[in-house]
Amino acid sequence: MLGFIKKDLAMIKSNFKLLGILTIVYFIMGLLKEIDISFILPFMSVMIMISSFSYDNYNKWDAYSISLPDGRKNSVKAKYVTTILLILIVSTIVTILSFIISYVNTKTINYEQILVSMLGTIFGTLLVLTFMYPVIYKFGVEKARIGIFLVVFILVIIGGFLSQYVNFSFVAKALSIIENYLVVILIVIAILMVYISYIISKKIFSKKEF
Amino acid sequence: MEKVLEIKNLCKKYDNFELKGVTFDLPKGMIMGFIGENGAGKTTTIKAILNIINPSSGKIKIFGLDNRMEEKKIKEDIGVVLDDMFFPEILTPNDINNTMKSIYKNWDSKMFYDYLKEFSLLPNKQIKTFSKGMRKKLEIVAALSHHPKLLILDEPTSGLDPIARAEVIQIFQSILEKEDCSILLSSHITTDLEHVADYITFINNGEIVLSKETDELLNNYGIVKCTEKEFNDINKKDYIRYRKTKYEYEILVENKKKFKDKYNISIIDKLTLDDLMVLMIKGVE
Repeated sequence: MLGFIKKDLAMIKSNFKLLGILTIVYFIMGLLKEIDISFILPFMSVMIMISSFSYDNYNKWDAYSISLPDGRKNSVKAKYVTTILLILIVSTIVTILSFIISYVNTKTINYEQILVSMLGTIFGTLLVLTFMYPVIYKFGVEKARIGIFLVVFILVIIGGFLSQYVNFSFVAKALSIIENYLVVILIVIAILMVYISYIISKKIFSKKEF
Repeated sequence: MEKVLEIKNLCKKYDNFELKGVTFDLPKGMIMGFIGENGAGKTTTIKAILNIINPSSGKIKIFGLDNRMEEKKIKEDIGVVLDDMFFPEILTPNDINNTMKSIYKNWDSKMFYDYLKEFSLLPNKQIKTFSKGMRKKLEIVAALSHHPKLLILDEPTSGLDPIARAEVIQIFQSILEKEDCSILLSSHITTDLEHVADYITFINNGEIVLSKETDELLNNYGIVKCTEKEFNDINKKDYIRYRKTKYEYEILVENKKKFKDKYNISIIDKLTLDDLMVLMIKGVE
């Protein structure tokens, strides 16, 4: 699997500059007490990894990858591992920068708020990965992008409609009950959903013909 | 003779094409030329061997092992060049080396860089800056650099100029001398194969038409050229195919010596693989 991770990282390395520039912009804006764009960076890492699917597809890498030892299994596993590693590395850097920004601006560090907000961002990012990757493996990157936009669009409309006519106070009540365990529950859910997504992607790719 | 590749009754059905019971063996240490016109089933057969597609039925054994049950073990010892370019073009040969050394247990970085030098391929240049021929050479280098026991090469010389083609063919031959390797080489440039292939397997419209030793094929088979009158005197059983050209009849015969003894026709040309393909595809039974 390591070989496939190296190949994915080599393909996306040109995007690291952009990620670096965005991190600096985030840091400066944070110090200037401008808007917080910390959540964008982990999302960017997923979007960059999604571009690696485009490279694979364009260069017909997938057929060749199957001719390599354990290619079918490892190329899927490598995509998930590389994406998760990238999300965790970027999130860690952003968290450290957020601590610095918090200290410079307020002379204290609001650990809890920063960590909870970053965990929420990681969860949201993993949610994108969970839904996107099986769809990409099934339908290809281009169709998956359109599909995801459609799904998000429909969800926003349904959400807007429900918020008009449904009382969501029970959700707040339910959340307050599990408040102490919320972080643990989110982590367990994240691990489970990513694992299920990986199993589905692996199954789709194992049957794919090129 | 020990076989490195055994294919039996391989079938694969698509809407507009079908592999029909493809069967042939590749003996150890040999080069087999796999010929046929575009769309005849060469790439489909190769993809089935590599499990890139799932055959409808049939058995494939590589090194005596089932190609599905022992896939990982088998693929450690196979070098592959596919019909289409397949390395992401934003990578460099250095990236390919870094990737492959973590994929193949026997990856030989020194061999990889030696070949790069031999083919004048710069290790730190992005593949997108390479010409089509240079990309093909890089793919061949990557296929050779883990000491494979079987090379499966789908049109490895297409897109190469005659000099590069000669270089590549020479490398295949020297690999066979130095390493314990066998080669399945599909190509529609049949002149390349006449010089190097020990066996020729010819596929047409999804069916294996013949699979024979190259010497036997080129020495025994022949093209008889005769007039219409002479053709009408020939027994149907004594030829495989014929075709009528503007001035004469061309007849493919399996044993030119026997034919010469039986019929009083003096013009019997030596068979070339091109003639064989044209007469088998365009000729009449």
